[in-house]
Amino acid sequence: MAPGKRPRDGAGAGGSHHDPLRAPRGGGISKRRRPVTGDRDGDIEMGSAPRISSDTAGRGGRNLRRANGDGKRGGAQGSLTRLTQNARDHVLSKAERSAAGKGTENKIAIRIRGMKDSKASGNRDGGLRSLLDFIERKASKGRPITLGRAVVRGEDVCLTVSQEDAQNILRLNGYTFAGAPLTIETDDATTTHGSGTSTSGQDGNTSDVKTKMLSMLASRYDADGLLLNLSSLGTDPIMIDLKAVETKALAEKTFKALLFLVSQRFDTKDAKDAAIQAVSLANNGIQDVKEVFNLARDLPRLRRLDLSGNSLQDFSGLSKWRHEFRLLQELHLVGNPLTSLPNYPKQVIDWFPNLQILDGQQVRTPKEAADTLMEWFPRPIPALPSNLRDGGNNVAGAFLGSFFPAYDQDRPGLLKQFYDDESVFSLVAEPEDSSTPYKNFTRNLEKMGARDPATHQRLFSGAPVIAELWSRLPATRHPTLDDANLWKIDCHTFRSLADPTGMGEAMGLTINVRGQFEEPDPASQVPLRRRFHRCFILAPSKPGAPHPFRVLSDQLSIMPGQSLAAPAQVMPAVPTQPAPAPIAPGDAAQPGPVAPDAVRANLIFEVSRRTGMTAEYAELCLSGAANWNLDLALAMFEQKKAELPPEAFLQPS
Amino acid sequence: MSLNVHETNVRRSCEAAKNFADWYYRQANDGKSIASAYVNGHAAYDKAGHPPADICINGRVVATPQEWEQLLEEQRKAPKQPDPNRRRVRYEVETLIAHVINPDYRFGAPASLLDKYSPTDGVRLMLSVLITGTVYFGTGREKGDEYWEKQTFSDSFILVPNWDLLERAPGKQHGRKYLVISHNYRAE
Repeated sequence: MAPGKRPRDGAGAGGSHHDPLRAPRGGGISKRRRPVTGDRDGDIEMGSAPRISSDTAGRGGRNLRRANGDGKRGGAQGSLTRLTQNARDHVLSKAERSAAGKGTENKIAIRIRGMKDSKASGNRDGGLRSLLDFIERKASKGRPITLGRAVVRGEDVCLTVSQEDAQNILRLNGYTFAGAPLTIETDDATTTHGSGTSTSGQDGNTSDVKTKMLSMLASRYDADGLLLNLSSLGTDPIMIDLKAVETKALAEKTFKALLFLVSQRFDTKDAKDAAIQAVSLANNGIQDVKEVFNLARDLPRLRRLDLSGNSLQDFSGLSKWRHEFRLLQELHLVGNPLTSLPNYPKQVIDWFPNLQILDGQQVRTPKEAADTLMEWFPRPIPALPSNLRDGGNNVAGAFLGSFFPAYDQDRPGLLKQFYDDESVFSLVAEPEDSSTPYKNFTRNLEKMGARDPATHQRLFSGAPVIAELWSRLPATRHPTLDDANLWKIDCHTFRSLADPTGMGEAMGLTINVRGQFEEPDPASQVPLRRRFHRCFILAPSKPGAPHPFRVLSDQLSIMPGQSLAAPAQVMPAVPTQPAPAPIAPGDAAQPGPVAPDAVRANLIFEVSRRTGMTAEYAELCLSGAANWNLDLALAMFEQKKAELPPEAFLQPS
Repeated sequence: MSLNVHETNVRRSCEAAKNFADWYYRQANDGKSIASAYVNGHAAYDKAGHPPADICINGRVVATPQEWEQLLEEQRKAPKQPDPNRRRVRYEVETLIAHVINPDYRFGAPASLLDKYSPTDGVRLMLSVLITGTVYFGTGREKGDEYWEKQTFSDSFILVPNWDLLERAPGKQHGRKYLVISHNYRAE
């Protein structure tokens, strides 16, 4: 670390350097390995645990602290430091905590007085850097000493240093620094911490602080508004009681600890995002959002944010968040000095692409916000309904209308109807975990090598083999094809399959079905719902088959299951129900999904693309008075766009 | 036993499908052209009068691979995004299955190749390939990068041999070994 960038500038920047939620970096490990004399880094104490245990722990280290520490715990400084430690303990991992504990055990807090009377006090940082450089220079007798972070408390400068360094530094007591005599002594109140406190006592204290913080969070959460109200933390009795916001550095750490506690309450990020859509940080004296930056990391999908009544002076105070909160719709900055800047609303509106309400004023319509987001993020291609091009005689509709009910109820019967000794089936279900019933049959070439014997073993060929497999697969229930919203079926014919008679070539039909089915969950009474993609290749049958076409290839890709919240009807455990009457050859009257007019599909796509609306709304717009006229539909959209709800526009959930 | 499950044919079909998918999604993720993977414009097929590849994207038929590339291009657009790590569209393949649907594919094949490769050599294969995975929008290059939104995608291809390439001398057979005659894409 370059000397000029050491994190020593006291309280103001202290919190932003320490990042408790982040795992220890690789650098820390290498530091520990390095010999002490070679370590010029300010963080030396944090990484010096092994050295301490072998070098100083047995000698003066513990004895000295005990002599200073016994019976002198408590006091304002002690509480503050303990609270800092507690906040850290909340968020450090167990391993890191034990390492940090070792580090602090062998440290001594030192208090230096006299900086204020020196000539250096007129410096920008109050003379802190000059003072620390001075002490480093003077104390480095025989081996270099590098000081870590210093905290200014009133007239004193507080430092934590190792035992060895402390002896050299304490010798400087009475030296003159920039015209003022320095008083350097150990800081008893702080040093006592760690040595006299037993592990169990510390844990008790930690859990007490945690309980209080959690109760405060609970009282500040509004479930109706999905709002976490963290405004005016400085005046909260619990925060005052915990002395958690007495200094700025401490307040920053407390804020991080609060966010961590919030995160712990939720199993998944999605659950957290759903439960907390609004946060108020009003009246917290925030000068720069970097003080509370972690909010953007912990709740990146926030919709509403209140920063009113803070002390944001200019845009630089807000700029750390300019790439964050992409979904933010509402922001309040009233009462911050930056609101009187000439470029005020415009700059903020530019930074937050989805912002629609700023300080209570509408600054974008939902349509404008959707447009802006489109310029900020890649956007999925609009989805259209099923696209059936099966040669005009509805082979696909007839086949599928018969296939899925039979697959649910009579798989052997289905095989006899449409499969023969050349039919091939394979399935894939990912992620492959021990609970999925498809585990032993999954043929995922993405994960298998081409020479893996399973690529062959899990390729099921011929109706009898497929029947054997299907009898082992879970029962399913597919919705009816009439429910067109639940199905996406695309098909078209193609040429050049082998003719079953061995003469020439034959036409094929490829049918791609995306849909969903329910399957019993052995672990509960509630069925699972799985999405799937099934790709059939239909080809002409051999002479004498029950249908003119057969399934040549059947590929099934099954997505992970989702438990259905409300129990649906009890499902049959095995498909034993009699089959519905199979369709007669040539009977193409079975209802299939309505084939959309290709022109209509293209119109929907075009309207959706030009307006940013979802396919459903684009269709509504076209099918109304516009009567499938693109220009009319676009004109009507322009008229009505202000009245459209936000869900009319393509936007990530 | 059907030649569709002949050992050599199955192995070759797995290799071909994997090679195709690896190449295809790498090209798509890097914003490079994927048009050369389609049957359109390949001499042997053009000469024999093969129709253009059937490409259906989210329910919409697109006429040419170039038009599909345009849709991908449009999908990638994020002109105001200041952060390059939140500008990409990235496809990640999770599952892949391939079936041989015709081990004796002949359309447009030069006679020499018909003589050279028998239906058990695993060369003149017509394949059906089903691929599913996740597509991330507004993300970086690497797996695990943050993203703006994601969808599940599935692609279904029918592949046929690239005769132009197979006709060349061994050692000069650079390019796509299989070509797409049918492509069905959906993401939701």
